Amino acid sequence: MARQYFEPGTVDEALSVLAEHPGADLVAGGTDLVVGARQGKRPLGDTLVAIHRIGDLSDLSETDGGGLRIGALVSHAELESSPLIRERWSALSDGSILVGSPATRNAGTLGGNVANASPAMDTGSPLLVFDASVELTSTDGKRSVPLSEFFQGPGKTTRGPSELVTAVDVPPRPVGSVGSAYVRLEYRLAMEIAVVGAAALLALDGGGRVVEGRVALTSVAPVCLRVPEAERLLAGADATEETFAAAAAAAGLAAKPIDDVRASAEYRRAMVSVIARRALERAHERAREAA
Amino acid sequence: MSTVVGKATIRADGVEKVTGTGRYTADLNLTGQLHAKFRYADHTHATITRIDASKARALRGVHAVITHEDVPDQKYGGMVQDRRLFAKEKVRWEGDVVAAVAAVTPEIAEEAASLIEVDYELLPPVVDFEASMAEGALLIHEDWESDSGDESMGRDRNTLGYSTIVKGDAGAAMAGADVVVRNRYVSDCSQGVPIEPRAVIAQWQGGKVTVWTSTQVPYAARAGVAHTLQVPESNVRIVVPLLGGGFGAKCDFHFEGHIAALARAARRPVKLVFSRREEFVAIGHRREGIVIEVETGASRDGTLVARRARLVLDKGAYCGEGGFFAQMAAMHACGPYKIENVSVESYLNYSNTQPSSSIRAPTAPQVCWALEQHMDELARALDLDPVDLRRKTLIEDGAEGPTRQVFENLAMKETLEQAVELIGYGQELPEDEAIGVACGWWPCFGAASGAYVNLNPDGTATIVTGAQENGTGAVMALPILAAEQLGLQPEDFSLLYQDTDAAPSDMGSCGSQTTFNSGRAVVEASIDLREQLLDAASSELEVDRGDLELVDGAVRVKGAPDKAVTIADLAGSGTTFHGKGSGDVPEAPACETEGCVGLLGNESFLSPQLITHAAHVKVDRGTGVVRVLRVAAAHDCGTIVNPIGANGQVTGGVVMGVGQALSESTQIDENGRQRNPFLLDYKLVTAADAPQIDIAWVETMTPNAGPKGSKGVGEPPCVATAGAIANAITKVIGRPVRRLPMTPERVWAATFGEEE
Repeated sequence: MARQYFEPGTVDEALSVLAEHPGADLVAGGTDLVVGARQGKRPLGDTLVAIHRIGDLSDLSETDGGGLRIGALVSHAELESSPLIRERWSALSDGSILVGSPATRNAGTLGGNVANASPAMDTGSPLLVFDASVELTSTDGKRSVPLSEFFQGPGKTTRGPSELVTAVDVPPRPVGSVGSAYVRLEYRLAMEIAVVGAAALLALDGGGRVVEGRVALTSVAPVCLRVPEAERLLAGADATEETFAAAAAAAGLAAKPIDDVRASAEYRRAMVSVIARRALERAHERAREAA
Repeated sequence: MSTVVGKATIRADGVEKVTGTGRYTADLNLTGQLHAKFRYADHTHATITRIDASKARALRGVHAVITHEDVPDQKYGGMVQDRRLFAKEKVRWEGDVVAAVAAVTPEIAEEAASLIEVDYELLPPVVDFEASMAEGALLIHEDWESDSGDESMGRDRNTLGYSTIVKGDAGAAMAGADVVVRNRYVSDCSQGVPIEPRAVIAQWQGGKVTVWTSTQVPYAARAGVAHTLQVPESNVRIVVPLLGGGFGAKCDFHFEGHIAALARAARRPVKLVFSRREEFVAIGHRREGIVIEVETGASRDGTLVARRARLVLDKGAYCGEGGFFAQMAAMHACGPYKIENVSVESYLNYSNTQPSSSIRAPTAPQVCWALEQHMDELARALDLDPVDLRRKTLIEDGAEGPTRQVFENLAMKETLEQAVELIGYGQELPEDEAIGVACGWWPCFGAASGAYVNLNPDGTATIVTGAQENGTGAVMALPILAAEQLGLQPEDFSLLYQDTDAAPSDMGSCGSQTTFNSGRAVVEASIDLREQLLDAASSELEVDRGDLELVDGAVRVKGAPDKAVTIADLAGSGTTFHGKGSGDVPEAPACETEGCVGLLGNESFLSPQLITHAAHVKVDRGTGVVRVLRVAAAHDCGTIVNPIGANGQVTGGVVMGVGQALSESTQIDENGRQRNPFLLDYKLVTAADAPQIDIAWVETMTPNAGPKGSKGVGEPPCVATAGAIANAITKVIGRPVRRLPMTPERVWAATFGEEE
């Protein structure tokens, strides 16, 4: 069968194409789909729907309540350079700046990154500590799925075959002095893929105590995941080295790493604690600067 | 006096490469051209019981499918003839080619290749190249005794190369030594990774074939096509468009025969372009893995009284051009040191993995990395500073090497002093930083070559050389040598260097010997041309030729510069001027070693290039991640012809050395397949990781050096970097890392794990 290519100009057009061709391959930046096909990971589908010309998916803005709405076509480069993201959503800026190369970051989109659901995605844990949810749209309407439920496994999500990721929504930050950070174990300084990554968010009260702490991990389980065990240790605790060490150790225990070509499970597990602790420390510094 | 040698000269092919107007093999397209795809082995070790290509041949758009039945039954290989174009009885590694398809599109060719039915009887893969030497081990080449090959290889079953260096009585001297240190090191295999994956296009016209190909060795490629297809060399013309790097990965006859055979069968031009994955698993792309056991006995004052070593190298499935690796590794296990008694044994073994090739300084970075860590361990055992131990033990003028070759006029110790001074050895550093030092050497050997220098009617000239430019700039520096003889400027020359029908036969771009050998030929051809110009000017000016000199584009009377005739006027006078030359190949040094099998790897240390690198590193102890902050690189490569080119070689070599040290490893599974044959998980060093690099040249006039006292520059810059980094890491973490590359996980394990 000949390959079909669609290039809808609006969300509605895209949704009707998807309704007619459920399971069609969606292309925005193409940095996962095309590279994957070239590497033999998965051939390109017979129906391609290119969504990069849809203008109203590129919006990046603060919501009235102080949350964030990120259109599916917002690129990593935009996230990396946006003053709003850098100042208030630092972990997402940290993660975006680490994705691939400048070319990847300019072509790749957040919607594509989320829909690709790689456990190694650098924006995954930052979005998880921000309690982000994914807006899915189809001809039947919209629904919102928390990111923690959206990810089902490597490359697997709850997105239906005729649904389009239209935005990522982030609720307002917790009350208090808030700092967040994403730290990745980096073998080299560019063109790297996460072997272990950790995001942390800390909200401090006026006395410097942790009101709320959140920790999420990248690349150490089939999906990016939050670590409730670590968060329980943080809530209400003094922001001390001991607290962060205990939370980081809990993160290490929660990881379910595998042996692969990039690292052994044993090393990954040990690194989770090291990296999670560094993420907590950096988030703490930023929270104190914000106070 | 020289006016251009040693001056910074911008290479002639630079602008086209940087601006994108240069044309590489994959950029060429011929009318009627078809696309080639290979059917690779489905198993890494198996007997072929049936090949049926009928479904592939029936596919619409397919013009030819060929297997071993469609080419002459000829074995080939540089030092052992152990290989065929297409696998016949057996497949021996994942990249063995079973069949080739030519079709109207690459996609159809790919589909056809997958339709070829191949039945196998599986054999256990031999992946452990050390265990493969054991008595009774399964043979990879069961008919090895009938494979023809170099008599001096010392072949025995799965060992295709065996070499020893024996000097004095190492056993007795070791027993009497004050201090003995013994270590075992293991280096993973790695890859050459030129940016340009291989491409080949072949077109027949009558009985003659032209092959455009990305090779470093066009004459070896021509000989290979002629031998495997049984046609005379005069019927084969190899043309190399711009070459996008090689690093030794393109240093042998590889796929020109397959594509020429395919084009003949298809009766159309056929083009092959490799994907990155194919390039990674292809023959010759790999640097060999090595197991290195080394033992040194020293007296209290640091004198080295004995060295024993046992080396086992992984050659992979076939010999290719790399049969000399065992000898080369043995020389690097001795290193540039004064040692009275030596006993080194070195084995080059077959395995069911990708064949290794001469990747930039084959065997040297790995063995140097091991030896230089071992020297630091010896220094610790002797309670000496590692630099002081080297000051005491490195070779100097008049020193006798492991093969009793006596070295004259070399600056080994000066490279050490310059490197430690540049890096600031001994300075106070934070506790997570340290400086390590490593020394090494690399051969420079003589080989036949020839060149023409033709004067054009406008007074410019064209150099015709068999040398191949692989990106190092060595060929691009040849005009400097010619210009110096002829009173012209390097820009006055064009170069014809990539056509086997044009120039005399040449070794090609390998062994850091282009300047050494092809440079000599260009100088001789230029002198021949100069003599012709002096004769012509002498009759024109009616002046004795002894009173004439070639300066600034003219032949003029010495002391009376106004009395002159320009070279352009002579060139336009209707006479043709064309020089040719070869020069005498310097004799190999006398090498004497009891029990030595084969001498190529030893004799090649005719006028060695000498190296010291010092590396300043920072170790993240929590994760084992190492960052190299600075490298000071001091080299004795003789006279530097073009500092821009030479500095570029060191910059690239050090960056490659950092990769070898920290991240570049091909991981092999239990069947001998690569686990990371692509750039995402084969970790090259990026520009962001490159350290500051400070360079020093110690220019000596070594006897038997090349033109103007030059030696090679291409390979030495990657030899000592990993050793220097290793010694710095050990200083920070207090433990040695005895696996190469020293990945974060290995550094972390060495820091916190049980000491070996």
